[in-house]
Amino acid sequence: MLGNSVLSTLRRVPGALFIGLALTGAALAQQPLKIGFGMSLTGPLAGNGKAALIAMEIWRDDVNAKGGILGRKVEFVYYDDQTSPATVPSIYTKLLDVDKVDLVVSGYGTNVIAPAMPIVMQRNLTFMTLFGLNVNSKFNYDRYFQIMPAGPNPAVGWSQGFFDAAMSMNPKPKTVALVGADAEYPAMALEGAREHAKKTGLKIVYDKTYPPNTVDYSPIVRAIQAANPEVVFVASYPPDSAGMVRAANEVGLKTRIFGGGLVGPQFAALKTQLGPLLNGVVNYEFYVPDVGSRFPFLEQFLAKYQARAVVEKVDPLGFYLPPYAYAMMQVLEQAITATKGLDQAKLAEYIHTNTFDTYVGKVGFAKNGEWAAPRVMMTQYHGITGNDVEQFKKPGRLTVLSPKEYRTGDLKAPYHENKK
Amino acid sequence: MSNKIFAAVTIAVALVLAAVTQLIPNEYFFSAAYTVLLFVILATAWNILGGYTGYVNFGSAAFFAIGAYTTVFLYNAFKAPLAVGIVAGTLVAGLAGLGLGYLTLRLRGVFFAIASLALAVVLYIFVVNWDYVGGARGAYVIQPREIPFGLPRYIHLIYAVQLVMAAFALVVARAIEKSTLGRGLAAIRDDELAAECSGVPTLKLKIFSTMASCALMGMAGTTFPYYLSYIEPSSAFSLSYAVNSIAMPLIGGMMSWMGPLIGAVLLGSVQQLVQVTVSSAWNLLIVGVLLVLFVTLAPNGIMGWVDAWRRRKGR
Repeated sequence: MLGNSVLSTLRRVPGALFIGLALTGAALAQQPLKIGFGMSLTGPLAGNGKAALIAMEIWRDDVNAKGGILGRKVEFVYYDDQTSPATVPSIYTKLLDVDKVDLVVSGYGTNVIAPAMPIVMQRNLTFMTLFGLNVNSKFNYDRYFQIMPAGPNPAVGWSQGFFDAAMSMNPKPKTVALVGADAEYPAMALEGAREHAKKTGLKIVYDKTYPPNTVDYSPIVRAIQAANPEVVFVASYPPDSAGMVRAANEVGLKTRIFGGGLVGPQFAALKTQLGPLLNGVVNYEFYVPDVGSRFPFLEQFLAKYQARAVVEKVDPLGFYLPPYAYAMMQVLEQAITATKGLDQAKLAEYIHTNTFDTYVGKVGFAKNGEWAAPRVMMTQYHGITGNDVEQFKKPGRLTVLSPKEYRTGDLKAPYHENKK
Repeated sequence: MSNKIFAAVTIAVALVLAAVTQLIPNEYFFSAAYTVLLFVILATAWNILGGYTGYVNFGSAAFFAIGAYTTVFLYNAFKAPLAVGIVAGTLVAGLAGLGLGYLTLRLRGVFFAIASLALAVVLYIFVVNWDYVGGARGAYVIQPREIPFGLPRYIHLIYAVQLVMAAFALVVARAIEKSTLGRGLAAIRDDELAAECSGVPTLKLKIFSTMASCALMGMAGTTFPYYLSYIEPSSAFSLSYAVNSIAMPLIGGMMSWMGPLIGAVLLGSVQQLVQVTVSSAWNLLIVGVLLVLFVTLAPNGIMGWVDAWRRRKGR
């Protein structure tokens, strides 16, 4: 009797073990996939940080609605970095050591990406980052990837389209003025612009910076006018972008092409604030409705985003950062699915060697982790009337001048004769 | 306790703590502790001029940044090791403090405070336009791959260094407080004219006090570029350093070396905790509410409140 009982029990062991292992496996599979990051939810870049967070949450919900990644639901663990680099090391060490996240991605911008680099590098993590400016040039980390489409040399790629447009004018211009704020992004953009000026043989007749807290931009524009340049390249942050555009209108700046690196007009707040003052300005964008047919999935994403943006009081258009925040997560998702796991080396290798279908189009990465080729769209504003945001949601207010494959029209020059 | 014994005990405690805490497997501890210790040094340094001497310095961030940018300069020029950066940063900030003293210590009260703030603005613009240390774009300081003492990560090293530097700052602050110099500074704080009439060399003492205070603030900044690996003017000159280095001694108590220590540990830890639990938006609110509460209910800070309680008990 006892023997039979023991035998019967022994017979059940493999089955029980199998069921146990299967259950453990299932439990592991059901454990959420935790992705950690810091994000600027307060401080100067909070508007962009919140918009990026909404986009990432839309991605998370979309992925979870499809059953998650590798059968695991995606969960976010994030903290507010206050747009302050000093908070970043403690946030990322907490995410990795205390919260035990499976993966980390970056917050928004160079200032908060760079302080996280030593931590991710020490742990050999694959690091997807959001809108950093050439951060990897100093670290040379082979598992770093950046989603802003500025190309492998961001300083040059940023203003390539502007100088291409300038040099397409007939007759070719001979002089250029370079102006920008004393800050991180304008310094990089101006450096690239100087390279373009050298390459194209443009004579730099004005090359100056101004303090970021400048209030009156009229003297700057008057000084530029006094130098009489044919091309005016401006690299500025939102408050000074508004100041420079207003001053150009007030002073009646006469030049053939104006703009290039103004940060701010990509967002609804500045678009509506400046309204018709933007007519004639040539400036960069990462997405405009005029090329909407080239990005078939973006419309449904923007519909979701814009509905939430109104409630959460962030950029109601969402053309600039949110699609790329979503795309960053798509790259990660596709890499995890393809490599069937979270092996950081395999993830990095896969991202390096493949291109990804994302809401912002095909994305491939160069050796330094930046986009393999720049895709900064250079556009020209026209036909803006009043300050209504709705006009910017539809095609017809911006002509895409470059890159060639997205071109929707030609540059209208000179600037001062196209302010309508 | 004599200053020598206090110094020996404090440095020994710091070294033992630095060694023992290395066993903590959680790297988050080191990052959070580094920030708290940074505030301990800043608050202690500010208190030498603000608390002992009664001169409110709004330019703490500038001296902190001088320390940080000296490290960046030496790193760019010679790939100088951290120790060289610490010594040089402290000296340069001390010299800048000497300059501040000569230029502004004839001003009193709110005028000195405004002058110190103006100095911070001048230095900010200077750094923004100095391309060699990164200018407006910022500069990278890459953490060395070889870490001394067999420590696993660089943050372990700079945490230990910061701990010893905090101990050193406390030793300096206590030595000043308990010396004739400290009594002279207290006389200046209570009534500068009376002190002058009583034969206290007020200008000399104030200049020394400014130098010591600014040198320690610079010392706090020297490890900062290594902590972040990237530094740019707006974060190095952040107003939060100036605000915290004033708020912490105010909350802890400005009359003794222990006040800034208590204030910095309390407020710094609360800020670290709130950042990863409630929300960062609450962070500033908490600092503000605590400041209002202490200024109205305990104007002499926690130490002042404890002293008053002891006196009542003793009666």
